[in-house]
Amino acid sequence: MSNRRRRLVPYFLLGPGILWLILFFAVPMYFMGRLSLDTGTLETGFRFNWQWSNFHDALSLYQTPFLRSFYYAGAATVIALLIGYPLAYAIAFKGGRWKNAMLLAVVAPFFTTYLIRTIAWETILSDHGFVVSTLQSVGIVAAGGRILQTASAVIAGITYNFLPFMVLPVYASLERIDPSMIEAAKDLYASPRTAFWKVTLPLSLPGVVAGTLLTFIPAVGDYINAFFLGSNNNHMIGNVIQGLYLTQRDYPAAAALSFVLMAVIMLAVLGYIRFAGSEALMGEEAVAG
Amino acid sequence: MEASAITRTVLPSAPARAWRWTREHGPNIFAALAIAYLLIPIVVIFAFSFNNPAGKYNYTWVGFTLSHWGNVFGISELNDALLTSLKLAVLATVISTALGTLIAIALVRHQFFGRRTANFLIVVPMATPEVVMGASLLSMFLIYGLALGFLTLLIAHVMFCISFVVVVVRSRLIGFDRSLEEAAQDLGANPLTTFMKVTLPLLLPGIAAAALLAFALSIDDFVVSNFNSGTTVTFPLFIFGAAQRGIPVEVNCVAIILFSVTLVAMGATVLQQRRAEALAATRPQEA
Amino acid sequence: MLKGLRGVALAALILAVSVGIAACGGGGIGGGASEKVATVKVDPKPSGNMTISNWPLYIDKNTVPDFEKATGVSVKYIEDVNDNAEFFGKMQPLLAQGQSGGRSLIVVTDWMANKMHQLGYVQDLDKSAIPNVEKNLVPALQHPTFDPNRDFSVPWQSGMTGLIVREDLAPDVHSICDLFNPKYKGKVEMLTEMRDTVPLVMKCMGVDLSKATEQDWLNAIAKIKSAADSGQIRRFTGNDYARDLTSGDVDAVIGWSGDAVQLQADNPNIKFVMPKEGCMLWSDNMEIPVGAPNPTAAEAWMNYVYDPKNQAQIAAYNNYVTPVAGVKQVFEKTDPATAKNPLIFPSSKFTANCDTAPTLSGQEEQKVTAAFDAVING
Repeated sequence: MSNRRRRLVPYFLLGPGILWLILFFAVPMYFMGRLSLDTGTLETGFRFNWQWSNFHDALSLYQTPFLRSFYYAGAATVIALLIGYPLAYAIAFKGGRWKNAMLLAVVAPFFTTYLIRTIAWETILSDHGFVVSTLQSVGIVAAGGRILQTASAVIAGITYNFLPFMVLPVYASLERIDPSMIEAAKDLYASPRTAFWKVTLPLSLPGVVAGTLLTFIPAVGDYINAFFLGSNNNHMIGNVIQGLYLTQRDYPAAAALSFVLMAVIMLAVLGYIRFAGSEALMGEEAVAG
Repeated sequence: MEASAITRTVLPSAPARAWRWTREHGPNIFAALAIAYLLIPIVVIFAFSFNNPAGKYNYTWVGFTLSHWGNVFGISELNDALLTSLKLAVLATVISTALGTLIAIALVRHQFFGRRTANFLIVVPMATPEVVMGASLLSMFLIYGLALGFLTLLIAHVMFCISFVVVVVRSRLIGFDRSLEEAAQDLGANPLTTFMKVTLPLLLPGIAAAALLAFALSIDDFVVSNFNSGTTVTFPLFIFGAAQRGIPVEVNCVAIILFSVTLVAMGATVLQQRRAEALAATRPQEA
Repeated sequence: MLKGLRGVALAALILAVSVGIAACGGGGIGGGASEKVATVKVDPKPSGNMTISNWPLYIDKNTVPDFEKATGVSVKYIEDVNDNAEFFGKMQPLLAQGQSGGRSLIVVTDWMANKMHQLGYVQDLDKSAIPNVEKNLVPALQHPTFDPNRDFSVPWQSGMTGLIVREDLAPDVHSICDLFNPKYKGKVEMLTEMRDTVPLVMKCMGVDLSKATEQDWLNAIAKIKSAADSGQIRRFTGNDYARDLTSGDVDAVIGWSGDAVQLQADNPNIKFVMPKEGCMLWSDNMEIPVGAPNPTAAEAWMNYVYDPKNQAQIAAYNNYVTPVAGVKQVFEKTDPATAKNPLIFPSSKFTANCDTAPTLSGQEEQKVTAAFDAVING
């Protein structure tokens, strides 16, 4: 292939997808950006006014839900990792002929619709139900206490609903690992534990980073779990944006708050990636060959 | 003398045996528990599909009946919504997986101008709150003069699926062993053949995982769909609507049927694996 | 350094392209009311097809086919109104451009009907085409504050918002003020619907709703906020209080009369209690949006459902209050038990202390909505 054609290949590969994203994401975002600097109401009409105070308000008024969202999403991501990594490991290394079946089992609950699953959880976690009674007798839940309408229920809900987002990428990268690498480690007198920590885990890191990002990022903006499983003081920033947009119909404020949320998430993600040393995941590494 | 020395073996101590047993079977047990945890709500949904409430609410156990199962497809709006959702999910999955895989390959394998920006453009949609994405798309569709309906839904669904596909496929591409591809090229294959016969098959598990995720995202989406569906009703939209007055028991039945479809798929993959193994076993052993 | 610059340059290029594409469309979001609200032009005979947007499970199976047979109009009936605010959110960009997305008729609650009218999103009706409405609309609903002459709205169904109580768990709850009793801490719920919850609490505080000021609203919201912060109120719900009541997780809630009828069917301990202070009366109203195709058929529909015979079918399915006079007589012959149910055919004595929600002006509404939203989204 001629050199010039080779240089054009990535653009052909990228072309359709990126075009789709530009047309249907970048452009609407531009509109939102303009809207975030408007003043006015629906009745009086919106006027572009370089209204930076929208952003100022967003940053100052909503700190509590912001912090709460990051806390809930972070906790849920950690728990999802603790549950999801061993699960992905088991599927990749011990799954054998059941591998694909187990993967499907992980994703299958998604086919029953969010609302029905959440109602089922409400039934399961009901104050007088089996789960809460057992936890009360063991002492984890105070007598007369409850799980629903607390932070725990919201975090549990987020974890449950985003678990496949953690498992699938981790599985994809674990499955990729060449078993001969692990065998080589063992041949060099590594114990199974050492082999795991020094060979398997580092090789699966791209999957872990992908999984945590895919779980954390959407979880921060989630509002459904907080809405159904939480009380009013468990509400997240997604609920606030929902309220601003639909109930208060304050579109500029909603748009400004959304941009602030997106910016904060992006900053956190960049910091995390640098920390995890996985610039590779963001495509920052130099490409070999 | 030598014989007995050779045949004498040292048995590992009991704790070491227990530890080894845990190490062997631990992951499997954990996996079983984790999958059980994932399926608990499904059991509840299944149980309540046999409920027989007198009123419209299905929250408390009243009595056992099979009548709702007999009437599973008796609510026409439910059936229409279900078909719409399935069609939408299949199309959205195919398109977004194709586009997303190509992007992932370009991003990982090639160095080119605009890489960072493309990366950025992939990740930002995941960080956008659904309300904002839905509402901004709606405004834009109106400005472009597109009639709201199945097409706008499809566009929206593909849009939010692409990012997820890219991230999943990319994590599989990183650390991909190029030596197999190099071997193929050494044997005279051109880049396209190498891609089709070596890269793609090896990439397939990652692509399949991404497609699965995309399908699940599409079939479960509510917020973005709500804004951009016009008068088309998808399954989640129907259920959220029905929840206002009481979700009919038939919805539980349909949910279980959908879930069972994946069970059938699971069974199919196990059978297929078994057949592949049987086939491999009959091949002559390498000398 | 150069590489970074190139990245920035590319980002700028994408932005420029986006702006270019956006400029092709022109126009933006939002927009004030049009100068004059149009009146529908009605043909003498209905024909063609039309689309109706209504709340879910609000109609029986037979009315639509019967209507189609009687008039020859083909009806597409969709149930996509889940929530007034959400419906408005997705319709607003359409209505601002004078389109209704193909809908000839929509059904929204009083305050939303008021808002849409103020924004010029709904049309005035040609009353000559709806004689049944003129004749049969119950007196109590003929002159609401937001539409004194029923120029643009016609009630579909009415309802009451009051207390729904687990009589076995909390037999002593008889007023809204009882919900603030520490005895029930964490066991009460209120509605996210501001115009149900806040006026009821205002009543508890002794406010005369016909004279309610913005400060009264804010005071009531402050009272609710301290109850929410202290954990007195378990949460704010749509109608998912039904699940909590059924499982016994809560003792008493502010809820809607129609739900109470349904809940009672499976658990006789759940009862609708008319608060001492009175209840809130509301209606879901039919309107014709701007840009509606075939308004003739829409008005024919309104006229059709206001015939007591046809309405009886709808009322039998719904458990809400029918706005059509003469239906009670039909029920007394066919279903006397329902005819006596005060939740479906409330006597004027039953609703003596009930009010419709007071309207709020633009500025007031913004302030009050923001304050209430802050409570719900603590």
